[in-house]
Amino acid sequence: MEKAKISAYQLFVLIVLFELGSALLIPIALEAKQDAWLAILLGMAGSFFLFLVYYRLFHYYPDILPTEYMQKIVGKSFGKFLAFLYILYFMYLAARVLRDFGEMLITFAYPRTPLFIVNALFLLVIIYSTRKGIEVVARTGELIFVLIFFLGISGNILIFISGIIDFKNLLPVLEEGIMPVLKTTFTQTLYIPFGEAIVFAMILPYLNQSKKAKFAGLFALGLSGLILAFIMVINISVLGVNLTSRSQFPLLSTIQTIQIDGFLERLDAYFMITLIFGGFFKISLYFYGAVTGIANLFNFKAPSRLVYPIGIVILLLSITIASNYAEHISEGTKFIQLPIQLPFQVIIPVLLLIIAFFKHRKKRGK
Amino acid sequence: MPPFFKYKKQKVHTDQSKDTQDSANHHVPEPIESSLSANLDSIKQKTGHSSDIIVRTIITGNTSLHKASVVYVAGLVDTQAINEFLIEPLQTNHDLLEKLYQQDGLDKVTKEFITLGSVHPVTNWDELFLSLMSGDTIILIDGSNKAWSASSKGGERRSIQEPSTQVSVRGSKESFTESIGTNIAMVRRIINNPDLWIETMKIGKVTRTDVSIMYINGIAKTEVVDEVRKRLKRINIDSILESGYIEQLIEDQTITPFPTIFTTERPDITAGNLLEGRVAIFVNGSPDALLAPALFIGFFQAVEDYYSRYDIATATRFIRVLAFFISLIGPAAYIAITTFHQEMIPTQLLIIVAAQRDSVPFPAFVEAIIMEIAFEILREAGIRMPKVIGSTISIVGALVIGQGAIQAGIVSPATVIVVAITAIANFATPSYTVAISARLIRFLFMIIAAVFGFYGIILGFIMLLVHLVSLRSFGVPYMTPLAPFIPKNLGDTIIRTPLWAEKIRPRLISSTDNPVRAGEDQKPAPPQKRGMKKKNTR
Repeated sequence: MEKAKISAYQLFVLIVLFELGSALLIPIALEAKQDAWLAILLGMAGSFFLFLVYYRLFHYYPDILPTEYMQKIVGKSFGKFLAFLYILYFMYLAARVLRDFGEMLITFAYPRTPLFIVNALFLLVIIYSTRKGIEVVARTGELIFVLIFFLGISGNILIFISGIIDFKNLLPVLEEGIMPVLKTTFTQTLYIPFGEAIVFAMILPYLNQSKKAKFAGLFALGLSGLILAFIMVINISVLGVNLTSRSQFPLLSTIQTIQIDGFLERLDAYFMITLIFGGFFKISLYFYGAVTGIANLFNFKAPSRLVYPIGIVILLLSITIASNYAEHISEGTKFIQLPIQLPFQVIIPVLLLIIAFFKHRKKRGK
Repeated sequence: MPPFFKYKKQKVHTDQSKDTQDSANHHVPEPIESSLSANLDSIKQKTGHSSDIIVRTIITGNTSLHKASVVYVAGLVDTQAINEFLIEPLQTNHDLLEKLYQQDGLDKVTKEFITLGSVHPVTNWDELFLSLMSGDTIILIDGSNKAWSASSKGGERRSIQEPSTQVSVRGSKESFTESIGTNIAMVRRIINNPDLWIETMKIGKVTRTDVSIMYINGIAKTEVVDEVRKRLKRINIDSILESGYIEQLIEDQTITPFPTIFTTERPDITAGNLLEGRVAIFVNGSPDALLAPALFIGFFQAVEDYYSRYDIATATRFIRVLAFFISLIGPAAYIAITTFHQEMIPTQLLIIVAAQRDSVPFPAFVEAIIMEIAFEILREAGIRMPKVIGSTISIVGALVIGQGAIQAGIVSPATVIVVAITAIANFATPSYTVAISARLIRFLFMIIAAVFGFYGIILGFIMLLVHLVSLRSFGVPYMTPLAPFIPKNLGDTIIRTPLWAEKIRPRLISSTDNPVRAGEDQKPAPPQKRGMKKKNTR
């Protein structure tokens, strides 16, 4: 574990940026049609529960990383195996998100650039910043958070004054009852983006005021849930359900419909800046989770030197993970949720918490 | 971040401190002898019979003749003072002198006769030469193995002039000179407080330059002062010719285009920074004071911001930050838009730009690079050129670049506009050191924009932010108070809140014991008239 400290506010900023990272840009929860926003809000509510589980585990072991407390909870060898699985999981997700962003950039701006080049460049920046440690990533987050905040507000003002919003598109609410919404929540929004906050279990031990972690985390999840739901409302009311669910990047389509006075149009730069900033934090945090995890598990003294080999692995993984974009996307939204995301985000942490709870009660009993 | 690097750094550091300790232990200074002629001989020998070392031997006393010598360096001293207050008393007061000799009261000679400001005894050669070479006068008396050094610093120096690089419309028109004593006095005249502390040391094995650190006790952070002192003591180099030498030898990180130490030539800026808790470093012979710890946002704060009202100050500061961004990514954005993202500009404008670029034989990148390099050459030439021919050549340069290049069809007018705006924007940054780093980074942005368009620019921007955020100046994060975010100190960043609203000093810079700078209720309240204003309930 590096000797770094981050503040509760920095944690808050990182969680918000992380959650908005890809979820703001890709179509999520659209199986629930015009009630997508509701599914997002329900996912957010579920994520509160998940975060409390992660927080509770952190509360039992406030000074050590999850890779270490897993060994304490379920025994040395099995704990190590579990920790290793988590590291692989973080690396896999880092590669997935990297592929997501590479593909997005290629589709909408650089159709003739090879995926490898786009990904490699992105990863270079991520390696550079991860090497500098979590403090630097967190401080960068503080700066970029303000920037994205201003972008978001000005973008929304532009959308509103260009008069393209039609709230009728949101009606009827709960057309087919609550079931499709619940189904979307439990098969998608709970895991992407909210359950992905599991990576923050690797970052919680760096907090300088551990008591504020719960508040910062819940508040950040709440805020990002509200923003996501709001953006989905805007998307659907601008584009309509059909167009939104068929669009590869609903937010981009929404931004492209902005047209003010024949002068302000094609504000793709807005989308691009948000896209790259968000992706940067999402991948950096997964990457950081993997690097500190490996350093901790294999007792590396200098985690900063691990960034190069792991970076290369993630880069290659991001290229070979799927043969084309369609395959990649359908893997991401349909196939990995239940077999991979559910156990890593929900089942294992809950089981760990239960065991830890009984262990601690035993200790206290003695 | 990495413990690996920290370990390495520490190791290097301890080695060096051991070295300096060793050398200090081995060197034992030679004491002064009691024979006057022997002493004078060795002074002459050590200075190589230099013609500017003036030795004046005086014979004093009525009955038994005593010899005394006055030694000084011509040009460094105030000759009139030496004549009036040193040589004259020694020559005229024979009786008294003799008495004092008999009573063996050598100390009294100096105490009662030498009417110069400060006199102190010197016992070894090292001290003797140090004070002789810095402009003091040495008095050697036959039969005594002690010498006296009387401070007689003087000589010709540049007078106080108007600041040349940090100009302001409002505010004092003084700037520092090359003399460290004058500079320190100028700051003292602003801060009339005994808590303004000064420490002086000699740095440079050959030049033995006076270097002073100045801070306000109780406002400056002790850790920072200690750190500055430690870093200055570490310096082991033959010469310090300018404050730039010190800056390069004590900065936190060397691999960065950004300055982590602030330089100023104005006493009022120095005073303002001292009052925020910073430490000033003066170097003899340099008209620039160093201020540490420096923050990135500090390079955008012009001195006038504090003298004019806050709304105007905020607006101008905003313009400055905007100008910095333009000077950083102006040409890069132009290259990216014309090469990759033509769809992002409105159609009308696109048609105009495309029509202009139609006849130009180069891609936008080459065009912009040609213009930028031409401009940089012009600017560099303009700085170094003799003033007499300066204006002529820059006019010719501007005409050739502006008119000629467009008419010859080598570059498009749009490129010239972009380069010109960028150049002007670069001058809007109040600090030359940050402006020059923006100049440097601009080329990197142009290259990455030519290869990857906006994607490259944004990634470059992230990298720039990460780099900025990772910098520290004397332990203080460079981007404070933006990152780490300190809401209470935001009043003096991109915006400037009114003076009466800024109640505390910057948190990470000044001492935490004494953070309050203004009393409560400083907002000016005019007397109430005709009940127009609500009564102050307090």
